[in-house]
Amino acid sequence: MLASRHVDHANQAPVTLFPAEQCCLTIDRFSLAYAGKSALQELTLQVPRHRVTAFIGPSGCGKSTLLRAINRLHDLNESVSHSGDITLEGHNIHAADMKVTELRRRVGMVFQTPNPFPMSIYENVAFGLRLQKRLAKRQRDDVIEWALTSAALWDEVKDRLHRSAWQLSGGQQQRLVIARTLAVQPDVLLLDEPASALDPISTLKIEELIRNLKSQLTLVLVTHNMQQAARVSDYTAFLQQGELVEYGPTDHVFTNPRLQRTENYITGRMA
Amino acid sequence: MTRTRLSSQPLRHLQDRIATALITAGGIGVLLAVLGIGVFLVWEAAPLLLSEELGSLSMLTPLAWGTLKAALIALLFALPLALGAAAYSAFFMSPRLRSRIKPTLEMMEAIPGVVVGFIAGMVLAPWVERHLASTLVVLLWLPLSAGLAGLLWHLATRRWQRRLPLSWAALWLIPWLIAMFFLALWLTPLAEQALWGGDLRHYLYDAFGLDYVTRNALIVGLAMGFAVIPSVYSLAEDALNEVPRPLMEGAQALGASRWQAVTKVALAAAGPGLFSAVMIGAGRAVGETMIVLMASSNTALLSASPFEGMRTMAAAIAIELPEAAAGGITYRMLVLAALVLFLFTFFVNTLAEVVRQRLRRRYQRMGSGA
Amino acid sequence: MTWLKNAMQQGVWPWLCAGSVAISLLMLGALLALLLTRGLGHFWPAGLDEITLNNGEVVAGEAVREMPLPDQTGSERLYFTGNRDLDDARWRWVAIDTIARQTQPADLLRLERRAWGDFIGYLEAVEVNGERFTGDDAWQQVQQALALPTAQRTHYQLTLRTPQGQTLRQSLATVINVEAPNAMHLGQKLRAWGSEVWQFLSQGPRAANTGGGVWPAIFGTMLMVIVMSVIVTPFGVLAAIYLNEIAHQGPLTRLVRIGVRNLAGVPSIVYGVFGLGVFVYGIGGSLDEWFFDDALPSPTFGTGGLLWASLTLALLTLPVVIVATEEGLARIPEAQREGAVALGATRLEMLTRVVLPMAMPAMLTGVILAVARAAGEVAPLMLVGVAKLAPQMPLDGEFPYLHLERKFMHLGYHLFDTAFHGEDVQAAIPLVYATALLLVLIVLVLNLTAILLRHHLRRQRGSEC
Repeated sequence: MLASRHVDHANQAPVTLFPAEQCCLTIDRFSLAYAGKSALQELTLQVPRHRVTAFIGPSGCGKSTLLRAINRLHDLNESVSHSGDITLEGHNIHAADMKVTELRRRVGMVFQTPNPFPMSIYENVAFGLRLQKRLAKRQRDDVIEWALTSAALWDEVKDRLHRSAWQLSGGQQQRLVIARTLAVQPDVLLLDEPASALDPISTLKIEELIRNLKSQLTLVLVTHNMQQAARVSDYTAFLQQGELVEYGPTDHVFTNPRLQRTENYITGRMA
Repeated sequence: MTRTRLSSQPLRHLQDRIATALITAGGIGVLLAVLGIGVFLVWEAAPLLLSEELGSLSMLTPLAWGTLKAALIALLFALPLALGAAAYSAFFMSPRLRSRIKPTLEMMEAIPGVVVGFIAGMVLAPWVERHLASTLVVLLWLPLSAGLAGLLWHLATRRWQRRLPLSWAALWLIPWLIAMFFLALWLTPLAEQALWGGDLRHYLYDAFGLDYVTRNALIVGLAMGFAVIPSVYSLAEDALNEVPRPLMEGAQALGASRWQAVTKVALAAAGPGLFSAVMIGAGRAVGETMIVLMASSNTALLSASPFEGMRTMAAAIAIELPEAAAGGITYRMLVLAALVLFLFTFFVNTLAEVVRQRLRRRYQRMGSGA
Repeated sequence: MTWLKNAMQQGVWPWLCAGSVAISLLMLGALLALLLTRGLGHFWPAGLDEITLNNGEVVAGEAVREMPLPDQTGSERLYFTGNRDLDDARWRWVAIDTIARQTQPADLLRLERRAWGDFIGYLEAVEVNGERFTGDDAWQQVQQALALPTAQRTHYQLTLRTPQGQTLRQSLATVINVEAPNAMHLGQKLRAWGSEVWQFLSQGPRAANTGGGVWPAIFGTMLMVIVMSVIVTPFGVLAAIYLNEIAHQGPLTRLVRIGVRNLAGVPSIVYGVFGLGVFVYGIGGSLDEWFFDDALPSPTFGTGGLLWASLTLALLTLPVVIVATEEGLARIPEAQREGAVALGATRLEMLTRVVLPMAMPAMLTGVILAVARAAGEVAPLMLVGVAKLAPQMPLDGEFPYLHLERKFMHLGYHLFDTAFHGEDVQAAIPLVYATALLLVLIVLVLNLTAILLRHHLRRQRGSEC
């Protein structure tokens, strides 16, 4: 098996980031267009297992589009066309035998604004479970407690599990959404600017949660906040105008970017 | 915590596919059924149009005339009231009052036609017959007296103007109008005595040969106007209220008075919206059945007099269709009348809707440009 | 000239517009006030006058209204005198000038009877199983006997005397109620008023719609509206879901949407024509040929009936439900749908578990608005199935209990028919007012519920965003 490589646009030479057996998600020459307008062009990168990978870049660079493509959320939109492959643990996500619902169970997604359903906290976490399989109430309760504990929310809500989820604060709602996703035991968790609508303290809690979750699953984080990417991620990919500009270990990308474009963006944002 | 692999269930996907197919079939079926009304009417009326008996179409002439006459009088009565009320509540009324008045007036629309028709036919018609002169005077005098109140207000001192602000004028005018109504009732018989020898009806008959029927076009117009006012008001008010405020303020900054800003800028900007409101009103007036049935004498006449009755297409359908033999000439004729009503209202409503959507886009551009 | 221009622009025109609002409000207020006073006032036990005219004639009855005398000065008063079995008239116009004396005797009674309408006069005596009571004793006996069931009242024979001196014997079994309104105090009058209102709501019409109540019409309206809701709700919701969630959002869908919206503006009578042609003659006629041919030529389903009326009104109110539901669906944030889908839900699961529960209040609003519209709609029903007086209720103890082919009574049509085709319109008018008031109240309450529901819904949405 080939070692994991990354094609650098500057010198077109593959760079080895991590051994191939650690690769969880492979994106291979993936392009995507909305109604004929190109949004992603020939993207190629690999996401390592049990690490946090951050996608950064100016707004409209395609980082959210890429994230949504991994979850096949574009299926709902008929004007979207794509080419190239995305593979999850060796399975092409667009393959005929890949059920989209199973893919989405294995690849959880958390959105920019918290979107708990208008139900109780308990029912929110149970939502995904109920879709999958009949569990005895006892078992289900256990999974829910585990998911809420993993999302660092259990202590705050254990006394009001049957109250409406909309009564929680924004930060709690976002952690509830993470717990809801964790409950179906995904392999990958996609986070689309999960803290952009939250206050600084809630943001810190989410970041801490992301670092802790690494031991359980692979995380991909889209953010416009450089410090956040620097604080929580192990690898960072910099996208611009639908193209991958630079990809590497976070330390390298932030302290010693290979390309001027990357440096401009990072320093411009950080100043 | 051990990670158990949850199995995916093919049943779920089957269910989903079946449900989607069912919803699609059901949805399209319902839409087809609804749109099938037009197809049915054409199908049933077509043999008549294709047959030799085109001459019998003349039967429809008085009905078409009656429909137009009733709708015209109703609009003549309803449009000034509805549009005036819309302009006032969009530009002058205090927001607190508006939040109460608008739903109240919109509630008017919910009053069943059969109730309005009953009041018009059994209460209003006999009363107007006895007080014809007073009714006509009141119809003119009430708006004039509202204007008179405005003139007095303009002449009043600042202190009084502040005490009775224009933004609440709709409330101040209620007792004033009631007083003016009774003043007119009290004075008119005296004038009637002096001018027309005591009875306007006799005078009209003697001088112009005008017949007076208790349930006549005037009554129908008043009652149907009452029924049309809320829908026209509601749509017109929405259109006026959506006029971007910077547009009005710009005009006033150039030295226009508030009233000028309303007439010169807002009316022009909201013109299409007002047009669509009027169209919707016309559609309602043409198709209203129970009011015409109960408030007009239902005689198929070709008379222009507002004091005589008429029979509209809708009323003719309601009266004659249950007795008409299926497939007969009368039956097909009445279905043809229904088809005409259907096409007219459908066309008018579509026009109104298209105009309204175009206007909304225009406002959005204006809003973003400002 | 500028002065005039200023006066017009700052005073006259704006106040003229304000006048439009005031006039509209006044008309609405006058209509409601008229319905309220006439509709509820009818049940108030009105005082009974006994007048002696200049020529010595005696008239007794309830004063109804006064009008100026035609072509003369002075005015005349209309009395309801009852006693149609004795003098063949119920109404009497009396010129005010000709009244010599007017009193309100405390013992003047009004009897509500099963036949011949009301009796107004005095109670002479009561015979119970050969025993004879007069004066206050007689009155007591009658009061007690009225509490008994009708069958036991046959032993009571009343001897009545009209104000003109005629006597009349009447069995108490044929009497519904006896009251002496002139002797009642306020509490008694209130109680009598309440029981009259209750009778109006709970009984069937009597004496050619001039007495009794409108219960069958209320029942028929309710039943029709319920059957209609059962039909319109699933189909309306289905069509709305299709339009909003499944259909490709292209120009064709937009066109269909405008079309559906516009159908709400098509006159109701056109739906009636469609119902008559397609449901009654088309489907109903075929059903009769296939299944009920032994009953032909008298039609079973091939004539207007409950089912066809409900179907027609369902079609009529379909756009209302579709539009309201679509509005509710469009208001649900896309994030909710994506949240469900991202957890691995299929489209069906997303719809049934997240979207539809959230759109529920909007659907409810739509159905309530549809019910309000259907309850007040009369014109199409004249073509597809109401009856002046339905001999059988469409719901009874006989198998299959719900008789969808039967004709039924409807409040709105009952109003129309009583007011315009009654035998004695004068006597029926107060009940028509009451019916109109009831109909308006039902429709307004339904509309208010829908408005409040929608308002509540919007506020809830607004606070969470």
